[in-house]
Amino acid sequence: MRSFTLASCIAALSSLACAELNLSEPLLSKQVLPSTFTPPQVFKNTNLVRTTNLDKAYPRETINVIIENIDSKPQSEYYLPFDASLLSKVGGFEVRDKKAADKGTFKVQVVGFDAESSTEFYRIHLPEALAPGAQQTISISYAVLSALQPVPAQLGQTEKQYVQYTFSAYAPSAYLTEKQRTKVKFPNTDVPDYTTLPAELNDEKKADPQKQGSTFTYGLYNNVSAGAQQPVSVRYEFTKPITHATLLERDLEVSHWGGNLASEERYWLVNQGAGLKNQFSRVEWQRQLYMNPPTFALKGLNLPLAPGAVDPYFTDDIGNVSTSKFRAGSKEALLELKPRYPLFGTWKYSFRVGWNADLSLYLRKLSTADTYVLKVPFLEGPRAGEGISYARVSLRVILPEGAENVRFSTTVPIVDNSTSLHKTFMDTLGRTTLTLTAINLSDEFRDRDLFVTYDYPWMAGYRKPLVIAMGIFAVFAVTWVLGSIDTSIGKKKTV
Amino acid sequence: MSSPLHDVWEAAASSPFSPAIGKNTQFTVGFVLLAIALVLTTIFGLNRSFVNLPVLGVPASLAFGFGAVYMICAVGVYV
Repeated sequence: MRSFTLASCIAALSSLACAELNLSEPLLSKQVLPSTFTPPQVFKNTNLVRTTNLDKAYPRETINVIIENIDSKPQSEYYLPFDASLLSKVGGFEVRDKKAADKGTFKVQVVGFDAESSTEFYRIHLPEALAPGAQQTISISYAVLSALQPVPAQLGQTEKQYVQYTFSAYAPSAYLTEKQRTKVKFPNTDVPDYTTLPAELNDEKKADPQKQGSTFTYGLYNNVSAGAQQPVSVRYEFTKPITHATLLERDLEVSHWGGNLASEERYWLVNQGAGLKNQFSRVEWQRQLYMNPPTFALKGLNLPLAPGAVDPYFTDDIGNVSTSKFRAGSKEALLELKPRYPLFGTWKYSFRVGWNADLSLYLRKLSTADTYVLKVPFLEGPRAGEGISYARVSLRVILPEGAENVRFSTTVPIVDNSTSLHKTFMDTLGRTTLTLTAINLSDEFRDRDLFVTYDYPWMAGYRKPLVIAMGIFAVFAVTWVLGSIDTSIGKKKTV
Repeated sequence: MSSPLHDVWEAAASSPFSPAIGKNTQFTVGFVLLAIALVLTTIFGLNRSFVNLPVLGVPASLAFGFGAVYMICAVGVYV
């Protein structure tokens, strides 16, 4: 196996001559597994097909693999290695049984074994242990955020944008892989540069990659050792904005008195595409706007809200932004936003949007006791063909004052949750607030729901009016007491 | 895809939450209650006595308490 790795090293070095890519780091094949730890070699990958989809502004990877237990005991823990620098960009990591996708996702967790090594692992728990010799087909999918690099990094205002993506032609694996292919799907056929691997590496001795329309296929590779990597790089046309939210704060406020669910989202956006070579020309921008050509600037955002949304607002640091339209409909209410300026690469824009909705669409009361169940989307936000990625999403569900025993469930992978108190208008104790944090999400998580149940005792609901009533009554009492003090000078009146 | 809380949600399908006062009547209710509170307060102000303290003061403060909550909801601050 070692000789094979060595051979692939030499082959990769020789392949540099073929690559015409402008890279700051040479593409060298390497081993990512730390020398001190390798996961127990109890599996092997019989057949692996990996699909890298570059349609959107973040690459999406899908690895379909047939795994086989080669140990003498049943095994249920499968590892997937990532370099720490890559792991910090991986988001929406989900594993399913390929043959029973509707059964839901497997439990996964990130583990690091060796503090000295930069390699960390995803530990995948198979729901049922795999018997010795048995096989299972699993589908691993994830997105890599902030992975596309515009080359050239600066462009004229109306030029086409090209982006570069560097990845390994070998799928990440902690086990021996008998057969594997990597399919790369481009958004179009304009792919000026890509790494060509020597035909000797390829088991079929064909030119590597094989091209078929806008799909390139690297492989077939036989018996790739655990942890082996063969970096390749591709550069393709992508004249669309690479919209990335460094932070999204989303508040959902439940009001039983008002029968209202108030939503507010605060975005910190950046376009990760190419910057402008020269100054921004408003004249040129306005002229070409009429033709509506593809551009790498972010012109606007469309937020499809759930039907029943009312009272939308769109503000930023300056104040109300008047360039927005709201189209209420029976299927969805569309909020069309236009930022104050088009967002070219490296430009930033932060703003907030909010709206109200009837609480009866989102909240139900259980027949037993004073328990309520709330169903809300975890992520709403813009919908765009090229996709939007979120580095960090902080969701706050602000429940009524006095709500207790809060439980929640969601299929979105969250990294942190906490319950605290949030004080605002007419509060004495503060409202129970559930805060959920997720990192590296993409707009593919728009349809995921969040369920929250809480107990809201009958008496807790009357806290607000009764506190105010008691205060006012105290004023009456004080008025009467002060009014009945006799402050007259001289003899007391006798009636 | 099912989770325990998803089942709880489905089980409660027949009982969606409905507030005691709908969004469209919040202003009316709030306004009437605040007006009642004002009238009772005025009467109490004209005739301050120990008997009037519970007779007028209690209904006036209750009307103000509930009226204030509905009025703040009616103007868009949903508490």
